Amino acid sequence: MADFRDEQGRGGQAPPPPPADPKYAWLPKQGVIGTSIKRLDGPEKVTGRAKYTFDIARPGMLYGRIVRSPYPHARIRAVDLSAAQKAPGVKAAIVWRDPANAQRNTVMFQGDEVAGVAADTEEHAIDAARLVKVDYEVLPHITLVDQVLTGSAPAVFQDGNVRQGAVQETGDLAAGFKQAAQTIEETYSTHVITHVCLESHGTVCEWEGDRLTAWVSTQGVNAAREGLATGLGIPQPNVRVITQYMGGGFGSKMGPGAEGLICAKLAQEAKAPVKLMVDRKEEHLATGNRPSATARIKAGVSADGVLTAFDAETWGTGGAGAAAGFPLPYIYLPPNRRRTHKDVYINTGQQRPMRAPGHPQGSFITEVLMEELADKIKMDPIEFRIKNLPPEAPNAMWATYLRQGAAEFGWNKRHPTGDTTAGPIKTGMGVAINTWGGGGRGPTQVRCEISSDGVVVVKCGTQDLGTGTRTLVAVVAAETLGLSPAMIRPEIGDTMYGVAGASGGSTTAAGVSPAVRIATFNALEALKAKVAPALGVEATALVASNGRIQVKDNASKGLSWADACKQIGPQPISVEGNWQPGLSSVTTSGVQFAEVSVDIETGIVKVNRVLAIQDCGLIVSRLTAESQVYGGVIGSLNFALFEDRILDRNTGQMVNPNMEWYLLAGMSDVPRIDVRLIDQPERGVIGIGEPPTVSTAAAITCAVRNAIGVTVRSLPLTPAKILQTLAQQRRA
Amino acid sequence: MARKGKKPGSFSVSRRDFLKTAGVVSAVTAAASPTEAEAQAAAVRGVGPGEVPVRLMVNGKRLDLMIEPRVTLLDALRMRADMTGNKRVCDRGTCGACTMIVDGRPVYSCSTLAIECQGKTVRNIDGLAAGTALHPVQQAFCDKDALMCGFCTPGFIMASVALLEKTPNPTPEQIRKGLDGNICRCGTFSRIMEAVSSVKGVTRG
Repeated sequence: MADFRDEQGRGGQAPPPPPADPKYAWLPKQGVIGTSIKRLDGPEKVTGRAKYTFDIARPGMLYGRIVRSPYPHARIRAVDLSAAQKAPGVKAAIVWRDPANAQRNTVMFQGDEVAGVAADTEEHAIDAARLVKVDYEVLPHITLVDQVLTGSAPAVFQDGNVRQGAVQETGDLAAGFKQAAQTIEETYSTHVITHVCLESHGTVCEWEGDRLTAWVSTQGVNAAREGLATGLGIPQPNVRVITQYMGGGFGSKMGPGAEGLICAKLAQEAKAPVKLMVDRKEEHLATGNRPSATARIKAGVSADGVLTAFDAETWGTGGAGAAAGFPLPYIYLPPNRRRTHKDVYINTGQQRPMRAPGHPQGSFITEVLMEELADKIKMDPIEFRIKNLPPEAPNAMWATYLRQGAAEFGWNKRHPTGDTTAGPIKTGMGVAINTWGGGGRGPTQVRCEISSDGVVVVKCGTQDLGTGTRTLVAVVAAETLGLSPAMIRPEIGDTMYGVAGASGGSTTAAGVSPAVRIATFNALEALKAKVAPALGVEATALVASNGRIQVKDNASKGLSWADACKQIGPQPISVEGNWQPGLSSVTTSGVQFAEVSVDIETGIVKVNRVLAIQDCGLIVSRLTAESQVYGGVIGSLNFALFEDRILDRNTGQMVNPNMEWYLLAGMSDVPRIDVRLIDQPERGVIGIGEPPTVSTAAAITCAVRNAIGVTVRSLPLTPAKILQTLAQQRRA
Repeated sequence: MARKGKKPGSFSVSRRDFLKTAGVVSAVTAAASPTEAEAQAAAVRGVGPGEVPVRLMVNGKRLDLMIEPRVTLLDALRMRADMTGNKRVCDRGTCGACTMIVDGRPVYSCSTLAIECQGKTVRNIDGLAAGTALHPVQQAFCDKDALMCGFCTPGFIMASVALLEKTPNPTPEQIRKGLDGNICRCGTFSRIMEAVSSVKGVTRG
């Protein structure tokens, strides 16, 4: 099979996994797997009964609040807590920075943590936080990447404001440009956005002696346990983390964060449970963002449409001392290419992984360039893309999907670049492709318990971010045990349920499903052994089907599930399973089409429709898998049109740390979206959280170019930028 | 846009229309007529800043609280009555996660003072289901998978209920406008549209 992995191993055909014990293999003909099962926790969520971390109330619970730096860079000379400590209702106050310690007395961005208070009501905590007196020595700061690139920035970061990466080079660049009939030299860029989790980051901490119970809004209960134990200097087994429901993470909630540690310390000092949820402004400033990306590219293409050379100088900022990498070129790999990358540091909150880290940036830059190159040689953009794709493979099906999508979307009705229709509304079509690794991993421990009353409990220390993990556990268990998902009781979101990975990188479905399959398979074997004597047959003759344990192909010789479980006796069946390779796979491929209307008088872009074709291996739960694609498309539409972290260049302050000026799509902005999931059951389970959010922004931008006949080479596509680009074209 | 054609004298009306068009109709707390507003202001004047008794009627039940006058309806119910169904997200009347129905109209409860709701009927997500029987809108959200993380869901459902009680058979355009004051980050809009379109026979509750 073709291998198109780049130097970082991204986007490639991994070697096929060694087979797991063949007895665990997915059944060739599935029952409940792949059907549209309603989300198990739907009723809890629609009634408001679901208790998120934000909703937890403990007896005597206090409310915590963090004092944060208003300056993007400052040294803390002193912190005076005395006025805050005397304020009404205050039970604890701590200094998070240490003015006496040169390693811990500097804040590096607006919103960096300085101190914390806890009081009996949230209002009192807010009042008290205002009374904390901090003596700041304000230091020079960097707001703009350009300041660093032009050498006009102050020296802020210890090892320099820039981290220069090594040159990556393949083939013969000079020869590649010689073969080119046409070349392009342009600069493309994407902006910084923030995660905007609707449930902000936060924790409820309750101590009992030296043991801590923490309800954390996290994507990884086990990762949060490790983070809390390490940060507090206590043994990991002393910490229990619970996350029953979680209001969105998108990559930003992989650990407890400083806010979790401050909460734990406040609870320790107050000798009472403390809830500390950050507010909307803090959420924008301090809990992660998607780094910017810029690429200055020179690329060459032959007259017959083959990419011959690609030379890129790239940079990006992930804030104060954090990396800003992204794959480039994205998927298409010209034989002769060179890339140099540097991370630029500025004084803002640090980046955190955000849904398909690096891919939306790489996709935007590459696909817009591809669109321009196709026009240079007067070739259809789809044919041009197909010509430059790596060879087709099960995880690299773009050519097939491009043709399938073109037929369904009506690509033959697409006009050449620039809608010549009279009037201000111009329409256009665009396309872009995506990939993502994903795949399962261990350890992912699952315990299955079946008791004599027929109740099936499946426990796993994973968590449900809203992706549907709870439902997926039930579907896989039901499939194996021949039951309906409603008869399974999944218990997740608690470190008491064992070790499982954090939910990031689209690894959860592919990690948890095999482990559940194996644990429930083993439980069924144990049950068959109990039932066989009652039926007077060998255990190996039995199967679980339609709520019965019966002899294969002989429904009359068997017992109902309830009667079968009565054979178990007082000691429930309790067996474990762990993730094994062979039931999951890595790497998906997908293609997205977009059609837009652009009003060239107002600059407003309206997305009319999107078609998303996506594969993800064996589809476990169709309804929730489709929801992931809808969500990915809408997330990417937000990236393309609305979201933007705007900084004041003089003060380094974020000017829109809220939800009225930090824009997100509403109901009227969402187009018709058609989702086509491609079944690949033979590949096993692959996650689908990230790939659908990679390419919509690029497809929209290509569609806008097709509509207005001008290329917008940076995101977001705001009305002002559209008008500005059109005006530049008229002047030229 | 919405003010086009309005007479200068009708400012308060056109402002309301403007807010509706901007999709923040549920933020309107100043919908009372001037005399009502004055009476309300007189009742509030001189109260606080410490805790004062506030009597609310929530989901048909009387609720007596001792709260500071600055406490919002959302925070009063969440933190003093353990009704945590509706969420606080933007805390500035933009995202709609806190949407409750007050005297039949959707409001942003994060931007409504609890003390201002005395004498009014308040309905929130915690009281929408009749025991274990889901409200038709709640059932539709489950059936169509119109939720993912679920944090915006209570607000979307309350906004949908308010819309359907006023407009039982909405057009797609009416659904979009009726729910434009709510934001979902996971991207469930397409399925919320399906869910609300599928609901039949909602009567004023």
